[in-house]
Amino acid sequence: MALTLLHRHALEDHILGFETSANPNHLSVARRPVIFSVLAHAGQEQAVGLALKAAPDIAPRFCGPAEWLAVSLTAGSETVAGHLSEISGASVVDQSDGKVLMAISGPSVRQILAKCVGVDLHPQAFAPGHSANMLFGHVAVNLARTGPDAFEIITPRSFAGSVYEDLMEMGREFALTASFSGG
Amino acid sequence: MSAYRLDAGGLVNRANPLTFTFDGKSYTGFDGDTLASALIANDQMLMGRSFKYHRPRGPVTSGSAEPNALMTIGSGARSEPNVRATVAELYNGLTAVSQNRWPSLAFDLGAVNGLLSPFLGAGFYYKTFMWPAMLWEKLYEPLIRRAAGLGKLTMEADPDRYEKAWAHCDLLVVGSGPAGLMAALSAARAGARVLIADESARFGGSLLSENVVIGGQAASDYAAGLVEELASFPNVTMMPRTTVFGWYDDMVFGAVERVQKHVETPSPDLPVECVWRIVAKRAILASGAEERPLVFGGNDRPGVMTANAARTYLNRYGVAAGSKVAVFTNGGSGYRTAGDLSARGVEVTAIIDARATSTDPAPYGVRVIHGGAVVATRGRNRIDALVAERAGFEEEIACDALAMAGGWSPIVHLMCQRGAKPVWSDAAQAFLAPDVGSGFVAAGSAGCADSIAACLRDGASKAAAFSTELGFAAYAANIPEVEGEYDPDFAPLWYVPGAKDKAFVDFQNDVHVSDLGLAQREGFRHIEHTKRYTTSGMATDQGKLGNVATIGIVAAMRGVSPAEIGTTTFRPFYTPVSMGALAGTSRAEHAAPVRTSPLYGWAKKNGATFVESGLWYRSSWFARDGEKTWRDSVDREVRNVRENAGLCDVSTLGKIEIFGTGAAEFLNRVYSNAFLKLPVGKARYGLMLREDGMVFDDGTTSRLSENHYVMTTTTTYATEVMAHLEFASQTFWPHLDVRFVSSSDQWAQMSLAGPKARIILARIVEDDISDAAMPFLGAKVVTLKGGLKARLFRISFSGELAYELAVPAGYGEAVADAIMQAGREDGICAYGVEALNVLRIEKGFVTHAELEGRTTPDDLGYGKMMAMTKPDFIGKRLSTRFGLTAADRLQLVGLKPVETDKEFMAGAHLLKDGAAATLAGDQGFVSSACYSPTLGHTIGLGLLKSGRERIGEKITVWDGLRGTEVAAEVCLPVFVDPQNTKQHL
Repeated sequence: MALTLLHRHALEDHILGFETSANPNHLSVARRPVIFSVLAHAGQEQAVGLALKAAPDIAPRFCGPAEWLAVSLTAGSETVAGHLSEISGASVVDQSDGKVLMAISGPSVRQILAKCVGVDLHPQAFAPGHSANMLFGHVAVNLARTGPDAFEIITPRSFAGSVYEDLMEMGREFALTASFSGG
Repeated sequence: MSAYRLDAGGLVNRANPLTFTFDGKSYTGFDGDTLASALIANDQMLMGRSFKYHRPRGPVTSGSAEPNALMTIGSGARSEPNVRATVAELYNGLTAVSQNRWPSLAFDLGAVNGLLSPFLGAGFYYKTFMWPAMLWEKLYEPLIRRAAGLGKLTMEADPDRYEKAWAHCDLLVVGSGPAGLMAALSAARAGARVLIADESARFGGSLLSENVVIGGQAASDYAAGLVEELASFPNVTMMPRTTVFGWYDDMVFGAVERVQKHVETPSPDLPVECVWRIVAKRAILASGAEERPLVFGGNDRPGVMTANAARTYLNRYGVAAGSKVAVFTNGGSGYRTAGDLSARGVEVTAIIDARATSTDPAPYGVRVIHGGAVVATRGRNRIDALVAERAGFEEEIACDALAMAGGWSPIVHLMCQRGAKPVWSDAAQAFLAPDVGSGFVAAGSAGCADSIAACLRDGASKAAAFSTELGFAAYAANIPEVEGEYDPDFAPLWYVPGAKDKAFVDFQNDVHVSDLGLAQREGFRHIEHTKRYTTSGMATDQGKLGNVATIGIVAAMRGVSPAEIGTTTFRPFYTPVSMGALAGTSRAEHAAPVRTSPLYGWAKKNGATFVESGLWYRSSWFARDGEKTWRDSVDREVRNVRENAGLCDVSTLGKIEIFGTGAAEFLNRVYSNAFLKLPVGKARYGLMLREDGMVFDDGTTSRLSENHYVMTTTTTYATEVMAHLEFASQTFWPHLDVRFVSSSDQWAQMSLAGPKARIILARIVEDDISDAAMPFLGAKVVTLKGGLKARLFRISFSGELAYELAVPAGYGEAVADAIMQAGREDGICAYGVEALNVLRIEKGFVTHAELEGRTTPDDLGYGKMMAMTKPDFIGKRLSTRFGLTAADRLQLVGLKPVETDKEFMAGAHLLKDGAAATLAGDQGFVSSACYSPTLGHTIGLGLLKSGRERIGEKITVWDGLRGTEVAAEVCLPVFVDPQNTKQHL
């Protein structure tokens, strides 16, 4: 019996059929991002942090002392795993299916996020490249600033539907639209 | 005609007239009006009935402290009671109705309460309606509630949206009067991130009400200039219609923004209100000062208002409160109102000045009665005369409005919400802001500045000091000259003796001077007791106007300083905040986040009924055609698992990846049983204890490679176990090389159980899963046909041959579908957590029904899982305490009814056979119970005193809640396959 297994995105039922053309404020949900947890062992925190920053195709997201998410929207899982295996002093585990990555951008993005998270997202306090774990409503997420008006939210898969619905509700005032991106 | 709109003047937009109704009658006002100013402009001074005596009332203020002019605005589901007409912005189509009156506002039968007032003094309901006690709830309270009251809530669901949001700033400025605007501007120019909030729709505060010239401009024009400049700064956030209602820990302020309370039909895309949590590095309270009413006989008659209110209606709204206005004052404010009215052509009949002499200038031709007092007012629904008294002589003076000026109280509410009490000042005759540390200060008249010029300077200098502290270059503000100021000084006058009618201290709660005296005589002397006995300072206005007078009068009665009486406790909220705003979007399906398993879709299409388990939605059972009750489905699922096979979603179990050379040692210390020598490729059941020796959680941990383990926890304790591991690693054994991360969401995990599990599984797995290759408690990574990698564990929670298969979550539904397909010919079924529970009770496996925080491993029959030879593990030391090893502890046993058609349920108590059905003879309880389809009768697990010695004993299962007693036999807690042969097939 040969198995052909379809991969299902956690937000399949939330987004499909509701897609319209993107407004200035838009939420783009990555279909198959590659996301690994990276844990630095004692004494290796700084070295692992630097190595992650230097690794090709990978954007590190800070989660806490000695813990990151390694995110890639360009490279495949095997490639990322390969790069990460070269970092000594770190343990890594694939979380690509356990996380949902949403990129939100637009002129009102800070006003929308101000309804969701309690962290100060002023560029002086949270510059492009910054990321942190924080509460989004009641759900712990990782939020990263990827540009002046662009952020990435990584949520646990089981909460993704709730986070997505809340985000769209908060974005109503600013005509936030949503769609999948990537194959 | 008494009150009227002046032909010109005021800050209303006369080009934009607005139509509204009050009690069904249509009126016209202007854009920029409040409901109160528009009603006064239409000579409708009567706006409400008082709480207890149903006395006619009109507005006494022009702002948020208003106690009287409360009305219900809007209709149907949008009707909102107790809105202060003095702050409600007028809009086209607004409908308002008065409250607490029947049949009409002008003729209210409830006013008979005024005649009964000798019997309705403070605390009357404690005394009068005490006997018989049973009548209180049934008769008296509903009666009192109907007679006394505020507006009524609509019982319809709120159709509007509310939101909550966060804001962050270097400096928060509360209030936009002269001090607030100047503070904000000063910090903004210095480069700080400034947030300025004001409860009004228009910034400017007292600059909009006062008739002065600032830097050659009218005060309101000067304010508009400052506002325009503020708005040009990208680092300034301006929040009109926003009340900062609370000050909380860590410089977090609560504020409510009325986004759409001033529009007839709110947009569904916007909230009507938004609650802001404002995080500020520094804050300036520029909330101004409240003018106090004077306490004299008949001081509540419509048309009597504060001098500041009369001035505001005149200057800001272009409305004269009357055409013959009298003034009763103890300071300069009354003279200023008289002057402003007179200058606009409104007749001022007399100024009654409580002071014997004063230097305040009266307008030309206006009579001043120095050393006088008002002792009574006349008029039915509106003042038409007052009785002035001087040196024993009384005189009736005709008037249709009375402006009273009783001195000023700085509005220090916010600074007193976190424990600090305001401080009495003899010099200011007021309670002043306490010192709450250097991050939050009062400026302007909130900080007792006594002129507009002083307010401007104070705001600028306090903001400059903060800017420098925060590292910004201080900006030297340019303070213009202010012309035409008056002296706001006043002489204390707490109440006027010789009142001919009730002299009200608290208008909203109908508390008058004699109520305060009664409270003192009856021993309710502490100001907090006085408040509660008399209700002075309660309800929606929380005594904003009356509290200071209450304290002053009580102090005078007792012959002490107000400093000795002190204030009651200040608490959020400064003004009422709707429940909708506090809930924000957390209502209906947004009330709590929903957690769904990757197999949610699979369960749904297989007919699952879901149960909320914490935030999770778990599949509970899978009904098939013809099954009438949930039990029909569960019984079938259980039988099918025992006879064929079943597939159950166990994705909700907590999963933790554990890495490191110290991982084995770490696990050996967090589990009570041995873990050091767990081989690679094997899973082991583990018990985790708390420090006190009680079981904390259980689950299996598998060694996937030398230094990589995966731990499973129960669904409920996933977060707690993760925190427990972090805590143990960071504080107990930081030297152990171990790191962990949750992977709970990464895996769709399903349990395939039943004698045919292997045959079915082999159809989709490439690897050899024979008993030899994959023995009981095997754990390894396998490849599914087609290439997908999966984790396979041979563990059983049903006693059957069983596997748990974990695949990346996105493939969960497809793999579950494939297994169902592969097992169709062997009769596979989906089973839910109800069947899972029956299967485990039949085998005597424990869950948190048994691991309920009071049970040790030994209590549960897992004594041999205490590896006491290990040097240490969490819970080891305290497990040896006397009492934890006692023989008469509650121990896990099985229970079955003697007559097999009898049933019992979890929670029932266990008694000795023949013992009386009381808790006195309590011997334990049923922790889990179910109908066993395998055995055909009810079975249970229970915790019974010395249970293990009592196997075979007949006891009574007593369910006091349901009133049943069932004879049961104590047995071993394993009902099916006690030799455990099936799971080893």
